[in-house]
Amino acid sequence: MSKATKTKYAYNRHPATFILLLILSLAMIFPFVWMILSSFKTAADVYQYPPRWIPSVWNWKNYSRVFSMIPFLRYYWNSIYTTVVETALQIIISILAAYSLVHLRWPGQAFITALMRSTMFVPMVVTMIPMYLLCASLGLVDTYAGIILPQITTAFTTFLLMSYFASIPQDMIDAAKLDGCGPTGIMMRVVVPNTKGAIATATLFSFLGNWKSYTWPLIITSKTAYRTLPIGLKYLTQESSSEYQVMMAAAVMTILPVLIVFIFFEKQLVRSITLTGMKS
Amino acid sequence: MSSVPSAQKAAPAKKNKIRLFGREYQTNEVLVSILFIVPTLAFMVFTFILPVIDVVELSFTNFNLKTRTLNYIKLDNYKYLLGEEDFWKSLLNTVKYSAMKLTLDTALALFLAVLLDKNIKGKKFFRSSFFAPVVVPMVASSLIWIWFYDPNVGPFNQILGWLGLPGSQWLYHESSALWSILLFSLWKGVGYNVILFLSGLQNIPDSYTEAAKLDGASEWKLFWKVKFPLLRPITSFVIMMGIINSFKVFAEFNVMTPDGGPLGSTKLIVSYIYELAFTNGRMGRACACALMLFALIFVLTQFQSLVGAHKTVDID
Amino acid sequence: MKLKKTLKVFLAALLVMALTGGCVSQYVNITTEEETAAPTTKAPEPGSTEAPAPSTEADIRGQKLEIWYSLSGASGVLFEELSKKFSEEYGVEVELSYSGSYADTASKVSAAMLKGLQPDVVVTGSGQLYSGGEGDFRIGELLKTTNDFDTNDIFEGMLDYCDYMGQGICALPYGISTQVMYYNKDILKAAGVDMTNPPKTWAEFYEVCGKVMESAGDNTKLKAFDTYDEAWLFKSMLMQNGCEIIKNNDGKITPIFNNEKAIEVADYWKSLVDAGYMASGKHGTAAENAFLGGTLAFVASSSNRIARWTGTTTFELGAIIMPSFGSAPSMALGGNVLVLLTQDESKVTAAWKYMTYMANVENSTTFALNTGYLPTHKSALERQEVKDAIATNEMYSVAFSQLEYTWAYTSFQEMGTMDSQIKNALQKLEKNRGTAQEVLDTAVKKLQEEIDDN
Repeated sequence: MSKATKTKYAYNRHPATFILLLILSLAMIFPFVWMILSSFKTAADVYQYPPRWIPSVWNWKNYSRVFSMIPFLRYYWNSIYTTVVETALQIIISILAAYSLVHLRWPGQAFITALMRSTMFVPMVVTMIPMYLLCASLGLVDTYAGIILPQITTAFTTFLLMSYFASIPQDMIDAAKLDGCGPTGIMMRVVVPNTKGAIATATLFSFLGNWKSYTWPLIITSKTAYRTLPIGLKYLTQESSSEYQVMMAAAVMTILPVLIVFIFFEKQLVRSITLTGMKS
Repeated sequence: MSSVPSAQKAAPAKKNKIRLFGREYQTNEVLVSILFIVPTLAFMVFTFILPVIDVVELSFTNFNLKTRTLNYIKLDNYKYLLGEEDFWKSLLNTVKYSAMKLTLDTALALFLAVLLDKNIKGKKFFRSSFFAPVVVPMVASSLIWIWFYDPNVGPFNQILGWLGLPGSQWLYHESSALWSILLFSLWKGVGYNVILFLSGLQNIPDSYTEAAKLDGASEWKLFWKVKFPLLRPITSFVIMMGIINSFKVFAEFNVMTPDGGPLGSTKLIVSYIYELAFTNGRMGRACACALMLFALIFVLTQFQSLVGAHKTVDID
Repeated sequence: MKLKKTLKVFLAALLVMALTGGCVSQYVNITTEEETAAPTTKAPEPGSTEAPAPSTEADIRGQKLEIWYSLSGASGVLFEELSKKFSEEYGVEVELSYSGSYADTASKVSAAMLKGLQPDVVVTGSGQLYSGGEGDFRIGELLKTTNDFDTNDIFEGMLDYCDYMGQGICALPYGISTQVMYYNKDILKAAGVDMTNPPKTWAEFYEVCGKVMESAGDNTKLKAFDTYDEAWLFKSMLMQNGCEIIKNNDGKITPIFNNEKAIEVADYWKSLVDAGYMASGKHGTAAENAFLGGTLAFVASSSNRIARWTGTTTFELGAIIMPSFGSAPSMALGGNVLVLLTQDESKVTAAWKYMTYMANVENSTTFALNTGYLPTHKSALERQEVKDAIATNEMYSVAFSQLEYTWAYTSFQEMGTMDSQIKNALQKLEKNRGTAQEVLDTAVKKLQEEIDDN
């Protein structure tokens, strides 16, 4: 936060940087602009050669076609529901594990840590086949539990939190102990309140990871009713028989709410990452 | 924490000690820990240990999804894969993609973070625009890019035409398909690392840089001599996650080139496993392939952690 | 330090695995070696008492069917509408799920069948999913006892399409398509080609392509011809040229698409690429995009594009009967079938009612006329609405007139593998990665290995 104190005149000292950044960020934004424009095109506009950028008429029908083809809101709800539950479970479990690994002493800590690290190296694709069979045996195909439970991997968030928890001064914990706090009390009253920013960061990472998850939901869902957004969109590419304008309308509806939420919370999100920093 | 109360009560902990494996522990800490670690362990068994055991076992069988046969065939799956052109090709594609992605993504992110670290007008806008692609769903954004890449009706070739450059076949030619997807994933992912690097840069105390400036160091020197070494833990973290994630990548490849691209040039090892398992139904072969992938990632990350000895998120 | 520790953990994990070995099989209903010799029969034996008695509509009221389908776009929407109509008329609840491409659907269903989680009915591409592969020929039995569906009224080629390796019928034709050669009338007019007398053989077609390319001038993007599904077209061309693709010797399949007849076809294919008439490796969606974008003169694609494209193109759209190698036209059928998969005996009647409802003359004709899929019933051609459609849309007349030249190839388990091998071979051929003989030999060899390995 020390940078905030820098003087304003620095603004004009980097014109080249400014222009470079401007070009790059316009390039980053271009796909979104293209998507929104395309979602209003007619089939004839889409296939025009050379490509037409601005639609000839503003055709809103593409949006209603999405709803007639797929249960879009249902997909949205499925995505939100599974992501929120997954994230909440991951964070709670990670906090408990990270706390007990950092601030408590018990036998087997090193072993658990090492085991947890090795889980990070295993991509979903390695385990998905037996996971599918296991879930099928448990009757979890086409259920929320089937989507959620196998995706509760906590190693990454646990390690992230461990690095922050470790930075809490031992004095503070000793003081709380003297004050009569048990292990649970220390966690709730000392560790968690002092690492709110870190927990927010972990939640953000975990949320982003879950929100985009694709491979597992693709395998475990077969009924329309349990598809999440990424899966629904994947099927829409085939289902709409490459009606590109319809796919773009679906993409707009998928992306816009996320972007709006992002713009609202962007400051907090970035600050939480920046404030806590990555501990060394 | 300013509210730490002064120590008044004597610690009563002395009595509640327990000896386990030749060491002394606090009984209540051990009990609470067991309670706290059980959820982690339970999910680890469910999502990792049980499946990995099964993968190992299945890799020695000819388990077939379509005919539902399951017989033990020793090392036949491994032999099959090692003699299969597609396996080596997908492995090579994966290594090519990962190496390029890792290098470009890290370098570009660092570069952008350094630019953003300056006091520049519209900084927030720039930061948001770089981070925005990160939050949008992969599938939705790859749909947009498929169209960009269409050689006939897509805008990329049109823009190249305006600049007087020859068009490309993008996803439809074996020499450009993999790089086209790479370009997309750079757009999609670079913002994540930009934020990480940026947070690292902003956490560098001014005193460090001021001292160097007083010594008359140039911006360039200042970065490489002072800032970059201080960013090392973050760089190391970014690289390790980069290795793991680039070997896992699947969604954009599955959406953009579902059949593995021209001459199989975008078939990655993960796509190959998916194809073996679910398109061909050869679960046994797929499991053998998955285990080999696991071994590869394991070796690479161990190598990386040996080289970049300072780690960030690791505790020991 | 860290490396050692992680290795230790890994070794410990391996030890655990060794100790707990043998837990895979509990997840799977395994067919053991002895059983595979004789295909397991999941369905009631043919002619057994379990074949459902003719039932009244009241019996199925209130039942629930789970249905997966691969029909996309307008076809999918109409399919849902017709299914809902069935649901209202018979009081059977239908839960419909689009299940992706044929290949996606096949893998989904296979995975579901491991644990008996398959839907009651599935509508998807033929072959890969035939219940015949499971030894389930219930449909053949049901057809004998039913009055709802008259197989004599079905085009012979389509009945063959529903047959599993000559062992019997195990599906109902629904949403069957053929390939149509679409063309851009504006481009052909500019090239000065008289399309009232369209090319009938591939040699004549080659000439026409030449004229198209000559007229291109500085339009460097223009190509003469491409196809959406290269494997499908190539197989049709093989049959036209007298190559049987595979030999079925009492259930033992031998691919033969590397004989000299096949090489001739592949050489012709390559000549299109070499002459610059066809782009290399840009089939599929890219080809259709180019066609719709006005930079491709001819595109061979499924007849269901008739409904999708009519009225949406910026140019005048036409279609001709697919050229042939022989003297007469000849085309492979493609598209969907209805397959009965339910494991719940009580649902068979409802599922069967649903299938015959969807595939009856009236509904299948409605479906055909709105999607460009082919009518499956001979009597459909007598119906006024079909006559009207043929009279008003020349493309329907092309598609429907191909009906008499259509045939189906033998369905077998590795059909999906065959198609992907053919696609690979053509891709290598187009990109100069081998001669016609070499690439087809490789494809045949790989396919044979897969067949033998199962």
